[in-house]
Amino acid sequence: MNEALPPSPRRVRIVAASSVVAVVICALGGLAIGPLSIPWTGILASVVSHVGMGHSHLTSLQNLVVWQLRAPRVVLALLAGAMLSVAGGTYQGVFRNPLADPYLLGVAAGAGLGATIAIVNLGNGFTTPTWTPALAFGGALLAVVLTWIIGGRGMRSNSSTLILAGVAIAALFTAFQTYLQQSNTSATITRVYLWLLGSLASASWHQVLIVLPYVVVCCAVCVASGRALDVLSVGDVESRSLGLPVSRVRLIVVLASSLGTAAVVSVVGLIGFVGIIIPHIVRLLVGTSYRRILPISLFFGAAFLVVADGVARTVVSPSELPIGVVTALVGAPVFVLVLNLRRSRVIWPQ
Amino acid sequence: MAAISIRNLSVHVGDAVLINDITLDVPAGTWCTVIGPNGAGKTTLVESAAGIRSPSRGSIFVEDVDMSTMNERQRAKKIALVPQHPTVPAGMTVRDYVGLGRTAHHGILRAMTARDRALVEDVIARLDLSHFANRDVASLSGGERQRMVLARALAQSTMTIVLDEPISGLDLRHQIDFLELLRREVDDCGLTVLSTLHDLTLAGQFADRLVLLSDGSLVREGLSRDVIRSPELAASYAMTLRVVDIDGADVVVPVRNLSMDALQEQPQMFGETP
Repeated sequence: MNEALPPSPRRVRIVAASSVVAVVICALGGLAIGPLSIPWTGILASVVSHVGMGHSHLTSLQNLVVWQLRAPRVVLALLAGAMLSVAGGTYQGVFRNPLADPYLLGVAAGAGLGATIAIVNLGNGFTTPTWTPALAFGGALLAVVLTWIIGGRGMRSNSSTLILAGVAIAALFTAFQTYLQQSNTSATITRVYLWLLGSLASASWHQVLIVLPYVVVCCAVCVASGRALDVLSVGDVESRSLGLPVSRVRLIVVLASSLGTAAVVSVVGLIGFVGIIIPHIVRLLVGTSYRRILPISLFFGAAFLVVADGVARTVVSPSELPIGVVTALVGAPVFVLVLNLRRSRVIWPQ
Repeated sequence: MAAISIRNLSVHVGDAVLINDITLDVPAGTWCTVIGPNGAGKTTLVESAAGIRSPSRGSIFVEDVDMSTMNERQRAKKIALVPQHPTVPAGMTVRDYVGLGRTAHHGILRAMTARDRALVEDVIARLDLSHFANRDVASLSGGERQRMVLARALAQSTMTIVLDEPISGLDLRHQIDFLELLRREVDDCGLTVLSTLHDLTLAGQFADRLVLLSDGSLVREGLSRDVIRSPELAASYAMTLRVVDIDGADVVVPVRNLSMDALQEQPQMFGETP
């Protein structure tokens, strides 16, 4: 490809279509993979029968495994992967920082502290399915709100001040979280670590229904902000002179990204790297416009997390790897590869 | 009618006074250039006029509308900015970059309309950017890049454009080309231009009016020829300047080898007609 020529519209269309196909294939693969062998064709027929066409040929056991164990897990992975990827891409755009990820403003540290408070207090009126996600969600939002206030509400200050405030709040919350964790038994520490590394093992339709509205609304807001993020690529001052209400746009997209991320991590734990590597790889494929990066990242992120979850639950079967370990094991080498490609091609505006 | 009316404008940053009580009218359809030594307040004045810097005191009116009552979108439909150091986002095409100028018209949630696209294509053709409209903005030369930034400003379809040192970093040929291009827009399209320029000769030759600033205050304002030949010019720069008339054009020549004491006592301006 000629460096002076950005990706052609045809190439963008092919990548976009591939991302949708990847989601379908990975989702079907996610339903098929597991200790109980179920043929693809049976799963496909069952899926089609759920939209009112044809008949399912699965046995009642297969039906139970597919629709009560695997399907909620696959759907939750799709939602989490989509949200984390879109939030990562949005943060990279709004802060014009290639290292930005969904946890930039302290979401991870806040959620970690909230979840740890719930886990160390188990048995004292706290229960895992209710309190852990609730306190993780509350902690994540508290961290972002504090970052926003300390960072000058993103209006008086520039984005660097907000990022630095996020670093400070994350350090503070992590210190509290580590103190709480270390003050408890090794069993508690193990439970906290497992939560921090993320897992979809306890996925249920109930969790899907909790997370779904947040992901749909927040992803919609972020994807719709693609045009504004393209304008922001010329900097705050020039964006304002072009008619962009920079402070309002920043508030809305940071709010949407943080809220969606908080909702996802409160249920699946802290899954790293998705929010960084997916937008970077998509940028490499389709260029620097957020109108393309965000919707395509949504699909590739969703597909990637289903694959990562598939790996997490099969490589050491019958036990499971934390999904955060898989995303980091895959993410780190891919990230290095992307960085190497950056040396020879423009994939991030300097 | 004045396209831009500045009334008792003062800009302070902490204790520093960047602009001190300036009142100025920029007549519609003219080119007004702000000149003065470094630190005189030129950039602060034009940034305030473009609405990207808030005044500490005073008011700015664009087409008789108080700028403080306008939001970003309303302002972007009245006045466009060509900054001194524009950010050029690598990976974006020239066409998309010029299209950013239509942001205030189509809004941030809607795509460009057919009219927006036609306007962008018209500006691209007018500024002779057609043959690299699909190129990456990062691949352009300095002169091409500056034309592209002007194209973005023109795509805003405002009647007033503010430019801060638009020819800095360009070679002489590209400086003249750029200023001729801007002059044509003023003469043919009735554009109002408020700019800053360091080159006094080019400022005098291309602008209709000059505004001389020194230490944040307005020293002299008027027709270019009058300001260029005024004694205040040399005094503001604290040096001796000679103005030479070459084929009817004023050329400002700095003269060295005068002691600083003499300069401070008696700044001088010499006129000479060959």
